[in-house]
Amino acid sequence: MTDWNALSDEAFRRQVRTFFETEYPEELRHLPHRAKFAEIRQWHEKLYAKGMVAPAWPVEYGGMGLEASKLLIFYEEQQRWGVTRGRDMGVQMVGPLIIKFGTQAQKHYWLPRILTCEHIWCQGYSEPGSGSDLASLRTSAVIDGDYFVINGQKIWTTMAHDATHIFMLVRTDSHARTKQEGISFLLAEMNQPGIEVRTITTLAGEDEFCEVFFDNARAPRENLVGELNKGWTMAKALLGFERIFIGAPNLAQNALVQLRTIAQGRCMFSDPVFRDRFAKVALDVEDHAALYSRFADQLKRGEMLGPDVSMLKIWVTETFQEITELMIESAGPDGGLIGPLQLGNVGVDVLANFYKARPTTIYGGTNEIQRNILSKAVLGLPG
Amino acid sequence: MSNVRAHSQDDLRMLRGSVRTLFERAGGIARARNARDKGWDRQVMNELAHAGVLGVAAPEAVGGLGMGLTAAGVIVEEVGRALTPEPVVSAIALAIGMIQRVCPGDAMLATAISGKIACALAWQERGLRGYSDQMACRFDGKVLNGSKAWIAGAVGADQLLVVAQNDSKPVLVALDADGKGIYSELRRQSDGSQLCDIGFVDAPGKLLAEGSVVSEALSTVVADATALAAAELVGVSAKALELTLDYVKTREQFGKPIGSFQVIQHRAVDLYVAQQVAEAGVSEALARMDVSADQGARIREASRAKARACSTAKRITRESIQLHGAVGYTDEFDIGLFLNRALVLSAWLGDAAYHRARWMDALEANEAGR
Ligand SMILES: Cc1cc2nc3c(=O)[nH]c(=O)nc-3n(C[C@H](O)[C@H](O)[C@H](O)COP(=O)(O)OP(=O)(O)OC[C@H]3O[C@@H](n4cnc5c(N)ncnc54)[C@H](O)[C@@H]3O)c2cc1C
Repeated sequence: MTDWNALSDEAFRRQVRTFFETEYPEELRHLPHRAKFAEIRQWHEKLYAKGMVAPAWPVEYGGMGLEASKLLIFYEEQQRWGVTRGRDMGVQMVGPLIIKFGTQAQKHYWLPRILTCEHIWCQGYSEPGSGSDLASLRTSAVIDGDYFVINGQKIWTTMAHDATHIFMLVRTDSHARTKQEGISFLLAEMNQPGIEVRTITTLAGEDEFCEVFFDNARAPRENLVGELNKGWTMAKALLGFERIFIGAPNLAQNALVQLRTIAQGRCMFSDPVFRDRFAKVALDVEDHAALYSRFADQLKRGEMLGPDVSMLKIWVTETFQEITELMIESAGPDGGLIGPLQLGNVGVDVLANFYKARPTTIYGGTNEIQRNILSKAVLGLPG
Repeated sequence: MSNVRAHSQDDLRMLRGSVRTLFERAGGIARARNARDKGWDRQVMNELAHAGVLGVAAPEAVGGLGMGLTAAGVIVEEVGRALTPEPVVSAIALAIGMIQRVCPGDAMLATAISGKIACALAWQERGLRGYSDQMACRFDGKVLNGSKAWIAGAVGADQLLVVAQNDSKPVLVALDADGKGIYSELRRQSDGSQLCDIGFVDAPGKLLAEGSVVSEALSTVVADATALAAAELVGVSAKALELTLDYVKTREQFGKPIGSFQVIQHRAVDLYVAQQVAEAGVSEALARMDVSADQGARIREASRAKARACSTAKRITRESIQLHGAVGYTDEFDIGLFLNRALVLSAWLGDAAYHRARWMDALEANEAGR
């Protein structure tokens, strides 16, 4: 097995770059939509063979165990080449949670299957009445012998129609003192009679998220992660992982690469106004990466992330949106066009980037909620 | 201009009311979704024509209502509010505006105002701004060769009006849209409409007018269309804001309406103020254009209007999605349709940055000329 951290940063960058450039399928570069697993199966197999599926996981669980500087390099190279993020909710979200809170048996069973993509995960938190106020969720799980019986509805579940498993927050005690108590963290298999999935079309016209209905669906009791009724604290910890993931420079970096392609294709760098605006967003991305690496280091040292991680998400998602607005402006009269804008022999899908950027300030906790968190939990403002 | 009839606020209110009713009866905002497959609706266009809408800005002497851009602005604000798929601005300002100025005696004018035929004006070419003797589209008296880009209202049109060159003179040529030698390329836009480029290869056409009257009229009608596109955007933002305010009053989280959180209240107020500024600015620009014959001043007002309308619509439609949360990102909820229309209208005829630059140019030119 490769000891990635033993390489110099430059050697590591070269290896990763060469790997992407030689192995990543050309037709999947800068994919405008969220890929289904079938589309990227072969690519996943290549990553798997190289042991590169989970860059941030510890080596003992099959991850690359990258230190922060290398993790950043990995992301940068991925974005530079337009490598899709794949079906990564297992790697990015539920995996780290199981590593942190799971039993030995759970780690042993679930983690390898995340890496092989035998299991493909989706995240069942939000409900129609519980978005920002997640703790008000109502989907219930009641113990019946060796099983939990689940009833209720989840919504906005990204790629649920292409998932084999769902990790979810469920109410296991409806008489608890506060709404945060009585919530548990449960894993369930999607392919069963009690679960129905309906896709929801986004304003970009993609079937990207879903409604998931539970009608006496079942999950074995050993699928409970952590203690019964203590899921909220863990979920908050997972939100830390989710926020550093959503707060990562990836999407903004990728958009910046594409903005640059358009600007070069249209000779816009000779316009001083454009130069200034490009430099502004480029520096916004660069300095964000510096901030990001502090948090990534913290994670690497095995520390839990505090509420301050929210700042990464605020900064990078808003920068990402600004970059895509510049892309639209650069497209001029073609700014409303669906599909790639042709610039010589390369195409850049401006609107796909724009649409991708819109919900980043909504999912994973809206930016308003992140600001509430920072003002109270970090700045200690009253109220 | 002198042939604009004076009209009272009451006239305008009535006009607004009747157009709003017409769009509601036709099916309202839901039509924006249907139009993705079916395109715009001939029947609705006929009803608009019947109500005099298509000739609203044309002088009474040529069969219009003579109510100028001010009244046209009121109408197209309603077009924006209802996300009407019909190419109203391009019909009123570009096609009819052009015919009325360069060949008012041609029978085509009456048929266009009455909605019997739909016309689209093809004037842009890639890499050029407005009329230019660099235009590649050439007319030899019989046939047209070359290509035009970004033609608004081309899909579903019966006649194409093409600005071209003949012996380095500007000409306006009419062609049957389904005639020989016409090759169109359609690309879909975010609101479901089609962006159309057309190539002409020995396409037979009829000369409507030639000489400087064509190039002068072109710059007038493009300024008019720019200002009216701004008014349409004002309508788009007005309705998007209205829907958003309704939503934050009713959506509850943490046991109360999200509109009770001060962050949301301040944001809502900021959007409201921005919208009021845009409405005032755009309608003043239209009114000034109605009474000014100075080309430079009219272009400046048009750019002022479009710059403001684009930046306001951008802000309101983006924030509207944010304030809706995830439902705002669905196709099922109407609010996203407003974002998608705003993208198209902002890109058409120049975005905010483009028009701010043009406004500065026009300002300096005016000061230099004094
Ligand atoms: C593309 C996309 C993918 C998603 N994927 C998933 C997924 O895989 N799994 C999953 O569980 N969920 C997913 N979500 C849901 C996401 O987590 C929720 O949309 C988010 O938590 C916000 O909830 P909501 O949409 O109900 O908005 P609401 O909570 O109704 O919020 C509406 C508006 O009110 C504001 N607001 C609410 N409360 C406050 C407050 N106290 N102070 C100030 N402002 C406030 C919000 O910031 C927002 O602007 C996804 C959403 C999107 C858009």
